[in-house]
Amino acid sequence: MTMMTGRHEGPATHHTVEGTDPGLNVQVFEPESPAELPPVLLIHGFASSVALNWEQSGWIAALLDAGRRVIAVDLPGHGLSTAPEDVDSYSPSRIRADLLQIASDAGARPIAAGHPSSGLDVIGYSLGSRLAWEFGATQPAIVRRIVLGGPSPRDPLAEFDLVAAQRFLADGTPIEDESTATLVTMAQASPGSDMYALLSLVEAVKEEPFDAAEAVPRQPVLVVAGEKDERIEGLEALHALVPQAQVLVLPGRNHVNAVTARAFKQAAIAFLAEG
Amino acid sequence: MAELPFPLPDLGEGLIEATVLDWLVAEGDQVERNQPLVEVETTKSSLELPSPQSGKVLKLYGAPGDVIKVGEPLIVFEVPDDTAGIVGTVPSEEAPKRRVRLSANLDED
Repeated sequence: MTMMTGRHEGPATHHTVEGTDPGLNVQVFEPESPAELPPVLLIHGFASSVALNWEQSGWIAALLDAGRRVIAVDLPGHGLSTAPEDVDSYSPSRIRADLLQIASDAGARPIAAGHPSSGLDVIGYSLGSRLAWEFGATQPAIVRRIVLGGPSPRDPLAEFDLVAAQRFLADGTPIEDESTATLVTMAQASPGSDMYALLSLVEAVKEEPFDAAEAVPRQPVLVVAGEKDERIEGLEALHALVPQAQVLVLPGRNHVNAVTARAFKQAAIAFLAEG
Repeated sequence: MAELPFPLPDLGEGLIEATVLDWLVAEGDQVERNQPLVEVETTKSSLELPSPQSGKVLKLYGAPGDVIKVGEPLIVFEVPDDTAGIVGTVPSEEAPKRRVRLSANLDED
């Protein structure tokens, strides 16, 4: 018999997933005055990182100020995580399995009635919001509330022209597809970006493209997007799948600069403080 | 009391300028060290600049949408005379160094 201690956060441990160490950089931030609320898992976007998407943008400081414990993960091939050679390491399903193990190792526990710090809240941006959507939909026992930033019901990465990108990188042949060209520019601009790893991620996403309708999160959802984010056209389609969602549109902001918006942080923090 | 200007710091990665998105403080505000001052956008990302020190905000340079070059004035603080000699720097961790692959090696297995 295991004694029930009533504690819903376990000690930090480290496990392999499906027999391999995902080699992901995990950072856990402890607030000075912890709120009686679950930890918050942060999932960054394509060609971004914990440092860019969450630290320098002021998110981690804002969440810590709100008393939230923060679990932040660099996706494979991003930030300080390793860049595995095999494409399977980048598949969304593998990443979701890694995130579940990481959250559990960092002390997140399944939602338990009467224990306000049980469960896990998730904030994702861009590709991270796709992962957050699927993670919430497939892990209802642990995921309590979800914030989706800059989401899209389609997957811009799935329509990525990999051959054109490879040709461009090899000899500079211009990329015709506008979305592909934008993503390559983003990837090249990303500090310390490993283009080989980013293309592996694209390849893996093409094998498992986002199908928002396939698994729909039933939790409370907050959707936030910049008014000038070109993905905002898809917001209605997404909202139709999660009618319970609150939607916040940030005036004047685009996909890149919506990340730092105070209104985004304040709305997310208030939404995630609800019981 | 003395005036202490704080120029737009070197944002790394060869960035030479940033666009002001939103001020998070106003002239006349008393701010604490590390308190977010301003949201700026570079060609690569948007970020919040924390205050290098505590003091009263005397003047802000640049309205939302204005471009400020690295080294140009961003904000002026009023500080006690004995601290004015300290030049402000952004309190940030050293950027993590990591291997950079400049082009994809597509023949690699």
